[in-house]
Amino acid sequence: MSNQIAILLAVLLFPGGVFALALGLALKGVDRRVAARLQSRVGPPLMQPFFDIVKLGFKRTMVPAAANETVFLYTPLIGVVSMLIAAALVPITSVYAPDAAIGNLLVLLYLLMIPGIVLMIAGSASGSPYGAIGFSREMALMIAYEGPLVLIAAAVAIRTGMGMGGWATFSLNDIVAYQQTHGAFLFDPVMWPAVAAFCFFYPANLGIVPFDIPEAETEVLEGPIIEYSGPVLALFKLMSAVKKVVVLGLGIALFFPLAPANLVGGLLVWLIKMAVLMLIGITVVRLSTGRMRIDQAFVFFLKWPLLLAVASLAVVVVV
Amino acid sequence: MGLIPDFKKIATRSPWLYRINAGSCNGCDVEMATTALIPRYDVERLGCQYCGSPKHADIVLISGPLTVRVKDAVLRMFDEIPEPKVTVAVGVCPISGGIFRESYAVLAPIDQYIPIDVNVPGCPPRPQAIIAGVAKAIEIWRERL
Amino acid sequence: MNFLTIFARNLRQGPQTEAFPLGPAFTPERLRGRIEFNADHCEGCRICERVCPANAIRFAKTPDGMTFDCWHNTCVFCGNCEFYCPTDAIHQTNDWDLSHVNADKFEMVEHGLIPNQKCAECGATALNTAPVLKNAKPPLSDAEYAELRARCPKCRAKYLKNRKVPA
Repeated sequence: MSNQIAILLAVLLFPGGVFALALGLALKGVDRRVAARLQSRVGPPLMQPFFDIVKLGFKRTMVPAAANETVFLYTPLIGVVSMLIAAALVPITSVYAPDAAIGNLLVLLYLLMIPGIVLMIAGSASGSPYGAIGFSREMALMIAYEGPLVLIAAAVAIRTGMGMGGWATFSLNDIVAYQQTHGAFLFDPVMWPAVAAFCFFYPANLGIVPFDIPEAETEVLEGPIIEYSGPVLALFKLMSAVKKVVVLGLGIALFFPLAPANLVGGLLVWLIKMAVLMLIGITVVRLSTGRMRIDQAFVFFLKWPLLLAVASLAVVVVV
Repeated sequence: MGLIPDFKKIATRSPWLYRINAGSCNGCDVEMATTALIPRYDVERLGCQYCGSPKHADIVLISGPLTVRVKDAVLRMFDEIPEPKVTVAVGVCPISGGIFRESYAVLAPIDQYIPIDVNVPGCPPRPQAIIAGVAKAIEIWRERL
Repeated sequence: MNFLTIFARNLRQGPQTEAFPLGPAFTPERLRGRIEFNADHCEGCRICERVCPANAIRFAKTPDGMTFDCWHNTCVFCGNCEFYCPTDAIHQTNDWDLSHVNADKFEMVEHGLIPNQKCAECGATALNTAPVLKNAKPPLSDAEYAELRARCPKCRAKYLKNRKVPA
């Protein structure tokens, strides 16, 4: 019973729930401000995403006549809840270890697929042609980037498992513990193809230029979320904010979870790693590239990231 | 209960802009684009952000005299924008027809079809003038929220 | 890799954003802004009304004189009126901060009046416009200018014809 209460608290307070929401929005604020400074503009205040969410609470939600109302209103809720649960699964070294029953890499991968599916369903439930275009583009992009993701996860799991004397282990706690003793995978030459493939995977997952094709795009007038307004739109923004936290946290846990052994130090190092990873990986990438077309992005993912992921799996099994 | 006015004050710090081109020559549209994209006239400082969908908008910037051909589409799009909203007429064309005032294809002034709140004259108005107009619109929006 | 040097330069230089609206804006001196009408210098030729592409300038004859109205909500700030005015009675200032609420739409008018006067010679009612001085050789002295101004157009022509040129 106390196990379940601990899990519930993890989902609602730390590291899911309030903590993940606040951290996600704060990271987004830092990203916008730093992006503006890199473009020699002043940029919005750091708390701007919080203001946006509060403002969206005051607008009214309009449901289009051609939309399926229940699906339209409830899918974003599913998206946010799934991301909060996923945030409870991300291990933070020396601070938080997910419960062994749920802290499984495969469960996290399944949960990470849900926001994409939510976008797709929301787009098609809107009853708008722009939503339908967003639906098909999101579907194509998901097919493209889910392949490398699974192979990367398998490579990490097999490396950890073989290092611990078994075959493969998908437990996130084991992966983190293995890297504490044997050195982070970031510095392990065998895992470098996996690291490279992950670097290609996460911009597509998080919807960052050059891969933000389905959503928030001036070509399709914001794609799946075009018909959303008011608090329901705020749910979409929150979902994408928590997804950033989850994916960046997953990257840290999979490849370099080293941190000092005490609570405060561990949390601080994790936050610094998040910020650095976000600045290099999201802001700089976002500002220096242009958006790809969906067919270009699809072919791109089928070439290098997939090759790198397959190579990483092969190398890990052979070596 | 003392929290509710505070939230309203917070909410007013994030007005989202949406542009409608009601048959404009694109001069005012270019100036409106520069207020967002050029580092010199950054409108994001005020918390503003250009959004892609009319359903996400708070402040509507209309440019162009309402041409006969585009009137239905503009009126339909204007209805899609949820309340509370503030409308800014950018350039002299929506206010009075501008230089096209005596044309047969132009239905200006636009405030016989759409309620306008702030006018920004100019042909095209300077980006600073547009920002001044947007600042006035934010004040009005603050009252309406 | 060029963008990294650009980012470094941008971070070093700081933001280039102008301070407006949180500070004063830079306004070039010859910016084409709101027009200003000076009734004292106006000749009454009405060329500005003819060349205005938007028909923003209207003159009207009233019992008090001739009124000048330019509605800034239809003026396109082209500068034609300033270019063609022979006496520099109408010119463009660099005032661009003209945004207003819609209720004030019809207040954005530059109004001027060229008053009527009684001619000093024949007593007829005529407009107190600036005299047309292009063909006066040698230039008029101040006293002659004042005399010329106080007359109606017919008496002005007579005065100029009979003007004794000082040796």
